[in-house]
Amino acid sequence: MKQARILVVDDSIAIVNSLCAILKVSGFEVDSAFNASEALRKIHSKDYDLVICDIEMPGITGLDFLGRVRKDFDRELEVILMTGFLDHDYFIEAIRLGASDFIRKPIDSKQIIRSIQNILERKHKRNDSNEFYKYLDSTEISFALNPANFSKFAISKVFNSLLLQNFHLNRITLNEVLICVDEMIYNAFIHGTLQLTVAERIMDHVSLREIIDSRLQDPKIKAKRLRFSLSIDHLNESITVCVDDDGDGFDYQSWMQRVKLEPKLNLEEHGRGISMLYHLSDSMEFSRGGRMVKITKKLVQEPQE
Amino acid sequence: MSIDLTINGSISSMKIDGILNSENAHLLQEKLAEVLASKCTLLELDLLDCRNISSTGIGKILLFYKDFISTGGEIEVIRSSSSVYELFSMLKLNQLFTVNLG
Repeated sequence: MKQARILVVDDSIAIVNSLCAILKVSGFEVDSAFNASEALRKIHSKDYDLVICDIEMPGITGLDFLGRVRKDFDRELEVILMTGFLDHDYFIEAIRLGASDFIRKPIDSKQIIRSIQNILERKHKRNDSNEFYKYLDSTEISFALNPANFSKFAISKVFNSLLLQNFHLNRITLNEVLICVDEMIYNAFIHGTLQLTVAERIMDHVSLREIIDSRLQDPKIKAKRLRFSLSIDHLNESITVCVDDDGDGFDYQSWMQRVKLEPKLNLEEHGRGISMLYHLSDSMEFSRGGRMVKITKKLVQEPQE
Repeated sequence: MSIDLTINGSISSMKIDGILNSENAHLLQEKLAEVLASKCTLLELDLLDCRNISSTGIGKILLFYKDFISTGGEIEVIRSSSSVYELFSMLKLNQLFTVNLG
């Protein structure tokens, strides 16, 4: 089993040093941060099995940090919170936010190691599917979505969890794939399915929401579907994302010529999405009169240390 | 994604963390509307912890930019992640306003 990687977060250099020393001696790979902003930056760029974070820190507190991790990542990053105060409200809030454990300072080395081992053991049992995915030659996922249900989900969070939990993707690659998915699905919904005009698209959120809800009552739009497929070729280390809709399509050939010549820059609403897809992917192609778009991207794996 | 906005006299400071995409771009639109409604003349954007921005997010920034410069306002990206810096360079947004890396 690979060595677990733990991030220690505390504004006290002495506590960080002593806790890191305890963890290293116990066989863990350790990294440190001296405030929550630095910790958030680190977990954006690197995978950690567990974070141990102090609650009382200047700026973003440990509880705020945990809240941001849950909101931003929507995943089960294990976080142990530690505090020098036995405050009942802290404890309740930590549980509510989904802390994996809550420990008291000064740190009892046996207690923290026991806590980490229990958490990692539970996590390992949950993550058997990770090992399964690692040994597959290819993975394919596809689904069709009723547009009426589109707004019930944060699609990017669904894919963030799916890709992050099952495949060890490099963070920059993951972010670029998520942007591509967002561009493709949003276009299929807004243009292909709802056929919103430019003027409608730039309305404020409440007005746009009303228009979307009203369009979704139209039986012709209700009958449309958004189809999505994602395939990962583990042997060739590439990911392919394909989205198609039941709209009227568009003149994709002239747009492709334009984006190949020059990234689109204007203050209007047209063309930026295609330009983004073109530049973030390794290949992009349209079919079905522009109703289907497929991108392929080479995967850069997160190093397994 | 989270947005922290502070308006202090003529300067607004906005920090965006996470991925700005079509699902949350309206939150940016609301914050930018607050900036526009204030009397500030400089918007400092901190995008160091912004992991990436979709075309919808770019669209909100451009729409705001048009309105803001017409009132004499200026935008400066005081810090940006490498992904955002590359994106802004690719879209030539660094020709519209200053974009600093890191």
